Amino acid sequence: MVDTVVFLVAAVVILVGALGVIFSRNPVHSALMLVMTLFGVAVLFVAQGAHFLAAVQVIVYAGAIVVLFLFVIMLLGVDTAENLSSEPLAGQRPAAAVVAVASVGLLAVLAVRAVQVSTGAEATTLPLDSERSNIAVLAEVLFTDYLFAFEVTSVLLVIAVVGAVVMARRPRPAATDELEDDGSDGDDLGVERHTQTEAELA
Amino acid sequence: MDQYLPLVVMFVLAVGFVVLSLLTSKLLAPDRPTQAKQAPYECGIVPTREPARRFPVRFYLVAMIFIVFDIEIIFLFPWAVVHRELGAFGLWAIVAFIVPFFLSFLWEIAEGGLDWGPLARSRSLGVLTGPERATAPSVRVVGLEGRLAARPEGRATVAVGASSGGDAGGVGH
Amino acid sequence: MTGDPLFADGFDWVVLAILVAKAVIGFTIVVVGVIFMIWFERKVVADMQNRIGPNRAGRWGLGQTLADGIKLIFKEDLKPDRADKPVFRLAPYLSVVPAFLTFTIVPIGGVFTGGNDGGVELFGRRTWMQVADPPVGVLFLLAMSSIAVYGIMLAGWSSGSKYPLLGSVRATAQMVSYEAALGLSVVAVVLLSGSLSTHDIVAAQAGSIFDWNVIATAAVPFVVFCVAATAELNRPPFDLVEAEQELVGGFHTEYSSIRFGMFYLAEFMNTITMSAIIVTLFLGGPAGPVLFGPPLIWGTLWFTLKLLVFLFIFVWLRATLPRYRYDQLMDLGWKRLIPLSLGWLLVIGAISIGRDAGWNRPLTLVGAFSLGVISWAALIGAMRVAKLRRGGDEFGELSTATERVG
Repeated sequence: MVDTVVFLVAAVVILVGALGVIFSRNPVHSALMLVMTLFGVAVLFVAQGAHFLAAVQVIVYAGAIVVLFLFVIMLLGVDTAENLSSEPLAGQRPAAAVVAVASVGLLAVLAVRAVQVSTGAEATTLPLDSERSNIAVLAEVLFTDYLFAFEVTSVLLVIAVVGAVVMARRPRPAATDELEDDGSDGDDLGVERHTQTEAELA
Repeated sequence: MDQYLPLVVMFVLAVGFVVLSLLTSKLLAPDRPTQAKQAPYECGIVPTREPARRFPVRFYLVAMIFIVFDIEIIFLFPWAVVHRELGAFGLWAIVAFIVPFFLSFLWEIAEGGLDWGPLARSRSLGVLTGPERATAPSVRVVGLEGRLAARPEGRATVAVGASSGGDAGGVGH
Repeated sequence: MTGDPLFADGFDWVVLAILVAKAVIGFTIVVVGVIFMIWFERKVVADMQNRIGPNRAGRWGLGQTLADGIKLIFKEDLKPDRADKPVFRLAPYLSVVPAFLTFTIVPIGGVFTGGNDGGVELFGRRTWMQVADPPVGVLFLLAMSSIAVYGIMLAGWSSGSKYPLLGSVRATAQMVSYEAALGLSVVAVVLLSGSLSTHDIVAAQAGSIFDWNVIATAAVPFVVFCVAATAELNRPPFDLVEAEQELVGGFHTEYSSIRFGMFYLAEFMNTITMSAIIVTLFLGGPAGPVLFGPPLIWGTLWFTLKLLVFLFIFVWLRATLPRYRYDQLMDLGWKRLIPLSLGWLLVIGAISIGRDAGWNRPLTLVGAFSLGVISWAALIGAMRVAKLRRGGDEFGELSTATERVG
């Protein structure tokens, strides 16, 4: 009974959040709705006994990734009116439609299959009432069966660091050309410079 | 699951606490908004400039690197819990995990990716905001006489002095 | 431990009652604690600055916090018209709620000596003297501190004003940076106790003072955690978030009335909770000798004493230290604390595994530490390289810039 209630509440939270992400006019609101969805998913993880995964969900997704999203949205000033008619990537919309249809199809197949396959057995690697904690079981699998994937993750992280630094770095010789590179001119220049300094010092 | 219900109860209590406080205030406090009260706070000066719209890329870089570190830390927790059972094998696995990561971190530091000190960009600003700039327009800067004359090297030196003052004043306190 | 809310074995009213009672008690402790904490801080800082401090409302000014709260309730609640209203309203909740929730994982009492596991008997049900003991305990702490970031970040952004925005950008980058150091020093604790649950962490430290993690981890993770916690709390010397001289009031400049009061309360609640977490993780929490009388009192007594020490230290820091500069703050977090705690973690891990595997102890130590020294030297080298690349001395590139512009 409690399981059902938890599932229903979490499902409502997830769906409301997901719809909010799509329908919010303001990107910051969308990001916050995304956090709500992630929370709902974390609750579902807890309900499944995947405590560690639930914590990771909140710490990594809500705590780090959406913070990066918000940084980009808030600080680039994307919340000002955007012109939606122009498409930076050609064929973006048809591609999105195809992906959407494919995802819905995939979900439908999964849902049907889950009903067929479902025998009422717990789909866990170990019984839930195991003496060992969820995280210990997970760690054991991670460091034995999936060790290679684990080590490859490290390489992925390295790529992330290197990519972030390379993209953030401006070409060195251009460092002093900053004023001309700005693209702004005349009176505008002074204001532009000042706002950037404030940000610099923040 | 059995330890999460108290969290829910606590959550309800905490939200209730905030709601109740705000509600009491709404009922008891006056509500007479005026133009001045609703303006952004600028110590009494009428705001002229919009808030900064663009921030240095460094902030994004920090958020990005943080994600990477966060994932790294998350992977350390399972190892920490079972490290005695895994023994030396686990230690080598985690060392192999951390070493490439640490090397890329070193590279990033060497690249200046985590430097926050005064940069070339903000330094060149001294030219725009220093007394140097103010001599050209018609506005007369009081107290500048003598300072320029006392330094025969000319403009560059003044700019250095001004910009170092500006940096210290801006980033510091 | 406190029954099974899935109610698999039938619905148990007593278990539910105990559970709700514990949550209410925890809630009350936080609320009453914060009232006294604010008074305590003002009084101690006043003493350190040779002032009297609050002394009008009630005996020794004890009622000052309540008086301030009532005053705030009667104040007009201003909403700037540039504000993003829904987010502006949401932000105080995101600050206060995590502060309450974090306290739930702190064990505040119980007997841990003499083979006891800290459980108490209540109406025939055994329970622990903490509101909740989720299996992911310390990860819950990290999760809550990452949610607390949102409160500050959104408060600043939604105000639609420049000083709050600058304050919140600073704050977010600062909190996020130090969260990494915080997490790494927590891993060292988990390494020793082999569990994420706060109850198990306390139980693992119960033996003697040498089992306390502050000694068992050789103090380094403890120091890193304390520094990182201070930065997470945005307390001096890391209070750049609300550096009054630059940012008026920082992220909550545009907040007034009790809405501001919420941020203020959250700040002090977090101070209490963080001190309690430090005590739990590194100083054995309620563990301590039972001297005389009923043993149950001693756990809570030891916990309170340890907690008070840290509360005093936080106030002391505020009264003593000047504020950090932003680049110093970031350098300390990223280039010192994070590599230090990462290296220390590996050393502790190597020693612990070496003890089990029967490695030569001095050799392990020497090997681990020399590797650590080499890594540290590489780190210093990397910082040197960065400095050289930036143009040698601090203002090296200026003359060229002047020539170009001038």
